[in-house]
Amino acid sequence: MSKSVSIGGDFLSLIASQSIIPARTETASTALVQTQATTVFSFHYAGGALMAGDRRATAGNVIVTDRVDKVIEIDATSLLAIAGVPATAFEMARVLQTSFEYYRRSQLQPLSLPAKVRALARLLRENLPMAMQGVGIVVPLFAGLDQTVSPAQPQIFFYDPLGAQFQAVGHAASGSGAGTIRSILSFQERYGTPRPSQMNLEQAVQFALRLLLVASEFDSATGGVNPETQTFATIKILNEQGVQDVSFVQQAEFLKL
Amino acid sequence: MTEEPYRWLEAVANRREYVREQLKGGSPAFAASLPEGILLLSVGAGQSKVFELFDRHALTGLGHPADLEKIRQAAIDAAHMEAFTRAPEDVSLRRLVSFGLSPQLKTNFEQIFSAPFLVELLLAEVGHEPGQDVLLRLHFDGAFHFQSNGTVVAASQPEPEAAAQKWLNAGLAGKANRSEVAEILLQAWWCLTENKAFTESLPSEKERRDGWRAAVSGRVVEMGWLARVCQRSARYQNLTLAQVGL
Repeated sequence: MSKSVSIGGDFLSLIASQSIIPARTETASTALVQTQATTVFSFHYAGGALMAGDRRATAGNVIVTDRVDKVIEIDATSLLAIAGVPATAFEMARVLQTSFEYYRRSQLQPLSLPAKVRALARLLRENLPMAMQGVGIVVPLFAGLDQTVSPAQPQIFFYDPLGAQFQAVGHAASGSGAGTIRSILSFQERYGTPRPSQMNLEQAVQFALRLLLVASEFDSATGGVNPETQTFATIKILNEQGVQDVSFVQQAEFLKL
Repeated sequence: MTEEPYRWLEAVANRREYVREQLKGGSPAFAASLPEGILLLSVGAGQSKVFELFDRHALTGLGHPADLEKIRQAAIDAAHMEAFTRAPEDVSLRRLVSFGLSPQLKTNFEQIFSAPFLVELLLAEVGHEPGQDVLLRLHFDGAFHFQSNGTVVAASQPEPEAAAQKWLNAGLAGKANRSEVAEILLQAWWCLTENKAFTESLPSEKERRDGWRAAVSGRVVEMGWLARVCQRSARYQNLTLAQVGL
């Protein structure tokens, strides 16, 4: 009954068989001013991995919106943080969400973490022509749960625009504010008390919000955090139980600590 | 043969008889709409009878494992294609069956020179409230019917199936406790597999309780739960007897 799929459980093969190819478009010789998303980062804390992102999207010097969610739950045990062009990044997220769930349901087992990491690398490679022309570049972060060990351990990965994947030891950051974030995270990891890896959830969330506040002082394309206007970050955590959201109410409480 | 209407009708009737004969002995499957979700239940070998299809959709049934697998894959392919090209909210059981699975099953059944699908299926879609639930009974010849509440049974023979469904709808009316419902479904499962008539001669409750417990020894009670309220978009979860308190 079903059309043959060359690789069992591979959603990309299925949509290719129907001539639906996501994230591939003809490129133009002159690029438009693109909407871009900015600062995202992830670090290990005592209870798992935290992934956070500001909510600003810009096009040149124009602020398009301060309400973008750049940290996306891909499935119950995977998170994606996007930096770059949202149009391409959101499409990649949608492909991953459908692919992982398609595999899990059709093959009656979840996709392994290495396969998830490579699935994103494959999408980035397929986006290479766009990235080379400066249109649709995406440099994401990925966090997934390694379930081959007990208890399951969250792992953080970062990529280059060509699709190379690297596992982060303590932290990773991407986007225009990443330089500031990485510097502070490195300093804190080496000299801080507590170190990020020793922080509890409250401390980790407060630290993440402060990181974004500092990054927004140096980078106009990074939206800050402003409790008065109810502007917070998108923060999700990944631990043994899977993905959990840190709500704006929780963020407001933790920021006051 | 196909040029002669009488012989064609005879051939189709023979196929119907053949399919029913092949399905005899298949383990019945059930779906019950409850206030907090939909419970699907059958007894098999583990990951062989009750399946997640999509966010709010699940499948159970009986028949040849290879045929069940083909239909399961076709439904999963169609649901994910629909969700990807439109939106997950656009995946509906009504469309999936009416325009996809049912015509294909009917065509296959009536193509008398190819093997028919040896399956009896039951599909479920959980809604935002019990009145929006869809329980769908799909037969091997493509015929199907919907209902939005109560319990639906899929068994190999139509008469016992109808009797079991009637008994269950009366016995489960007003029951909201998942454990209690699972217990009664398992009693019905045992009665069907043991060919007990759903009449006054039905074994006592104690016999039924003891009966299913003895009968499932060495097999797996497969249960799927489609939660009505859930933080994640995927509402399906596999359940064990211990998880439902049995």
